Amino acid sequence: MVNVALAGQPNSGKSTIFNMLSGVNQHVANYPGVTVDKMSANVKYAGNNYQIVDLPGTYSFSMFSLEEQVAKTFLLDEDTDVIVNVVDASNLRRNLYLTFQLLELGKPVVLVLNMMDIAARRQITIDIEQLSLLLNVQVVKATGSKRLGKADIMAAIATASQQEQTQLFKINYNQFEPYLAQLEEQISIESTISRRWLAIKALEGDALIVEKTGIKQQLIDDLTDEIHKRYDLDVDQGFARLRYDNADTLFHECVKEHRSGQENLTNKIDRVVLNHWLAFPVLGAVIYLIYQLSIVGGYELTNYTWPILASIKNWIIGWLPQAQFIDVPPITDFVIWMVNSTIALLNYVPIFFILFGLIAILEDVGYMPRMAFILDRVFKRYGLHGQSTLPLVLGGALVGGCAVPGVMATKGIADERARLATILTVPYMNCMAKVPFYTLLLGAFFPEQMTLMMFYISTVTLFIALSVARLITATFLSNKETAPFIMELPAYHLPTVKGVLLSALQRVWLYIKKVVTIVLAIAVVLFVLLQYPGIPAETMGQFRLSAEKALSDFDHKAQKTGHYQLVDEQMEVFALLNLYDQYKAQRMLTSSKEAVDSLDQAFMAANPELFPLVRPQGGDAKKINKAVRKLSKVSKKIRMAMKNEKISNSFLGMFGRALEPVSQYCGFDWRINVAFLSSFAARESAVATLGSIYENGQQGQRAENALASDGAYTPLHAVAMLIFMILSPPCIATMVVVKLQSNSYRWMAFATIFPISLGLITSALFFTMATHLGWSGEEMMRYFYLSAAAIAIALGLSNRKKPEWSVSK
Amino acid sequence: MPTSIQQPSLADLITGQQGVIQDCLAQGTLKLKLLNMGFIPGTKVTMIRNAPLRDPIEISIQNYLLTLRRSEAKLIMVKYHG
Repeated sequence: MVNVALAGQPNSGKSTIFNMLSGVNQHVANYPGVTVDKMSANVKYAGNNYQIVDLPGTYSFSMFSLEEQVAKTFLLDEDTDVIVNVVDASNLRRNLYLTFQLLELGKPVVLVLNMMDIAARRQITIDIEQLSLLLNVQVVKATGSKRLGKADIMAAIATASQQEQTQLFKINYNQFEPYLAQLEEQISIESTISRRWLAIKALEGDALIVEKTGIKQQLIDDLTDEIHKRYDLDVDQGFARLRYDNADTLFHECVKEHRSGQENLTNKIDRVVLNHWLAFPVLGAVIYLIYQLSIVGGYELTNYTWPILASIKNWIIGWLPQAQFIDVPPITDFVIWMVNSTIALLNYVPIFFILFGLIAILEDVGYMPRMAFILDRVFKRYGLHGQSTLPLVLGGALVGGCAVPGVMATKGIADERARLATILTVPYMNCMAKVPFYTLLLGAFFPEQMTLMMFYISTVTLFIALSVARLITATFLSNKETAPFIMELPAYHLPTVKGVLLSALQRVWLYIKKVVTIVLAIAVVLFVLLQYPGIPAETMGQFRLSAEKALSDFDHKAQKTGHYQLVDEQMEVFALLNLYDQYKAQRMLTSSKEAVDSLDQAFMAANPELFPLVRPQGGDAKKINKAVRKLSKVSKKIRMAMKNEKISNSFLGMFGRALEPVSQYCGFDWRINVAFLSSFAARESAVATLGSIYENGQQGQRAENALASDGAYTPLHAVAMLIFMILSPPCIATMVVVKLQSNSYRWMAFATIFPISLGLITSALFFTMATHLGWSGEEMMRYFYLSAAAIAIALGLSNRKKPEWSVSK
Repeated sequence: MPTSIQQPSLADLITGQQGVIQDCLAQGTLKLKLLNMGFIPGTKVTMIRNAPLRDPIEISIQNYLLTLRRSEAKLIMVKYHG
C-alpha cells in the first residue's frame, strides 16, 4: 500500500483532481478530534494499491484555520510516501510558495499543473521540462474538470513511490543559511522529514516544530534578535520574501504570458455580481432561487417519494401481529412508532439532496466568498462572519428552512468564534417544520390576522438570531479564537456534475448515518416515556365496555344479513376489521383506475371470502360493509381516547404536570408541555400531539376548531406558545448536527438549554404583561416583535470597544 | 517620536488605484497570514472595489483577488504608484 497525500492551495482545483483519481469509491471520515472531513480513496494502478487522501487546501504551513492545522499535522505525522502537489497552472507564481515548502520536506513529490485549459485560454505557456528540471520533480499536466491527465498522474505517482531518496531541493536563504546549519545540528529526533525543513520552521518560530525537535525556544528568540540586529531583517518577512522572490525567478524562466489586454470572464461577471447597486438584487435572486429549487421543488418531490415511504410502512405493518380490535400488541405499537419516526426524517431527504447539491454548486462556482464579501459588514457587527450568510439563509430566512443543512454548511468559516456563533445561531431561524404548528395556532385563534401574524413570525427570527449571536460572542464565546477576514475571491468555474452529485450524496449519507440513527435511539426513549406506566385498570374497564357494546352492535346488524356465517366468531370480525383498515390505507395511496383494479385483484386473491364484504357489490354485503365502517370508526375513536389516556398517565405526562409550576407563567398547562416535550423528537409531532389531545371526544372536528372551542385557552395563550416555539430549538436532529459540527457535547447542551430558557422567560414575560395590561393577542405579538427588532438594532449599533488586531509600535 | 501616520494605507487607495507595499504594522497571526498571502514590501497592490456597504474591500495582489476588512487594510502602509 502506497500512501499518497493530495496537497495544494485553496482554489487550485484539488478536489476535481481527487474526484478524477478516485472514482466513486470515496470514503469520508473525520480527522481525529476535529470536525474537518477527511476524504480518502483506494485506487488500484498497475497491480499496486494506492491510498489517496485529499488534504484541505492550505496557503502555507501555517495554522490559521482548523483545515490548515489538519493538513499540516497530516503531512508531518503520517507515513506519507508520495505528495501530489496540485497547483493552478494559470496562477503558478503564488502556488509555488507552498510547492517550495512541500519540496523541502524531502519526500517524493509529483507536481500537477491543474486547469491547463484556463491557462491555455489565457495564452499562458509553461515550459514543463524546464520547470521539472529546476524543481527536480516530475511535472504532469492535467485538467481535472475535464478528466484529463489521470493516467499521467498515476504513472508519475508510481514512479515517485519507487524513487530512492534524491537530492534535496534547496532554496538559498542567504543570510539565514548559517543559522539554519546551526539549528540543524541541534535537532536530535529521527524523522522522515528533512532536517533542513525542521530547521527552517523552527527559525520561523513555529511553536509546534520547536517543541517537536527539542530545540530551546530561548535559542530561537536569541537568533531572531541577532538577525534583527545584524541585518535589520525580520525573520518571518525575510523567509516570505525569499520564497516569493524565488517563485518570481522560476516563473519568469518557465512561463510566458501573452497579455491580450482582454478583460477576463471573472472580472466581467464581478462587475455585475459585486456591483455597488446590483450586488444585493443578485444576492436576493440567488437566495430566492435556492429556496424555489430546494424547499419548494423539494416539497414537490416529496409528493412522489412520500407514497414510496408510506407503502414501505404499510408493507412493514403487514408483517406485524394484527390488532385484536382495541387491543394492539405492544410490538406492533412500537414498530409503528419507530417506522413513523424514521419516515418523518427520511421524508426530508429529497429536500436535503437538492440543498446540498446547490451548496456544492455555489462552492464550486466561487460565489460563496462573494456572498461573504457583500454581507460581511452587517454580520461583523453581530460577531458573525460574512460566511455566516449561507448557513443562516438555509436555516430559514423569511420562508421556512432547515437548521440541519444550515449547521452543516458552517464548516468553511475560518474564524472559529464566528463559526461556533453561527452554529449556535442557525437553530433560531425559521424551521419549516414549525410552520404547520404556527398555522394550527393562527388558524384557531387569529384566522383574520393570519398574514400579519405570519409576517411577524417569519421576520422576527432574524432579529432574534442576530441578537443571540451578538450576546454569545460577547460572553460565552469571547475567549474563542478569532481569525482575520482575509479571503481569496477565486476565478469563476463551472462545477462538474460528478463533483456536485458526489458532494450531495456524501452529505445526505452523513445525515442518514449520523442523524437518523441517533434520533431513532431517542425515539425509543420517548416511546417508553409515553407508553408507561399505562392506563389504570378502572379506565381500561370502561374502554372495554364500550368496545363490547360496539361489537354487539355489529353482531346484531350482521345477523340480519346472509353473510353472517363469515363473521359469527369474534376472531373473524377482527380479521374483517383489519382487512378493511388495511385496504383503506393502501387505497389512499392509489389513484389511477388501473392501479385500483390491480389492488382489488390482489386483495381478492388473498382474501376470497372476506374481501367482497370490504368492497361490496351490493345487497347484504353492502349492509355488512356499512356496519364494518361504523365499527372501524368506533375502534379508532376508542384507540384515540386510550392513547390520550395513556399519554396523560405516562411518565412524559407526569413530567408535563411537574413542569406546570414553571410553565404556568407562560400560560402552558400540562397538555401543552407534553406537546412541546414530544415535539422535540421531530417538530411535526407537536401538531400531531396537540391535535390528538384535543381531538379527545370531539371526533370529526378539525384540530383548529377543537382548540379554539376548548375555552381553556385565549389568544394570549396562543401567542405565548408561538413565542416559545419561535425561540425553542427545532429538533433533536439539529442538536445532533450541532454536536457534530462543534465537536462538543457541552455546546450541544448549551444549544438546547439556552434557547428553552430564553423561550420560557420571554413568553412568561410577555404573557404576564399582556394579561396585566389587557393587550390583545395581536398586540402582544406586535410588542414582542418590536422589542426583538429594537434589541437587534441597538446591539448592531453599539460599538465593540477593543481593536481586533494589535499594531506594532 | 516621528510616526508614519501621514503615510497612506491600503484602505486609502481609491478604486482602480495602484500602490506599492511599504510596511506592514500587523503582528502575530495576522502578520503571518498577510505574509503568506503575499503582502511583502515592494509588492504592487491594486484597489479593485469596495463592498456595496463600503467594507470590506477587494484588492488584487500577486495576480489574484483578495478581500479583507478595512480595519486590517489600515495596517498595510503603501506608496501611491502611478
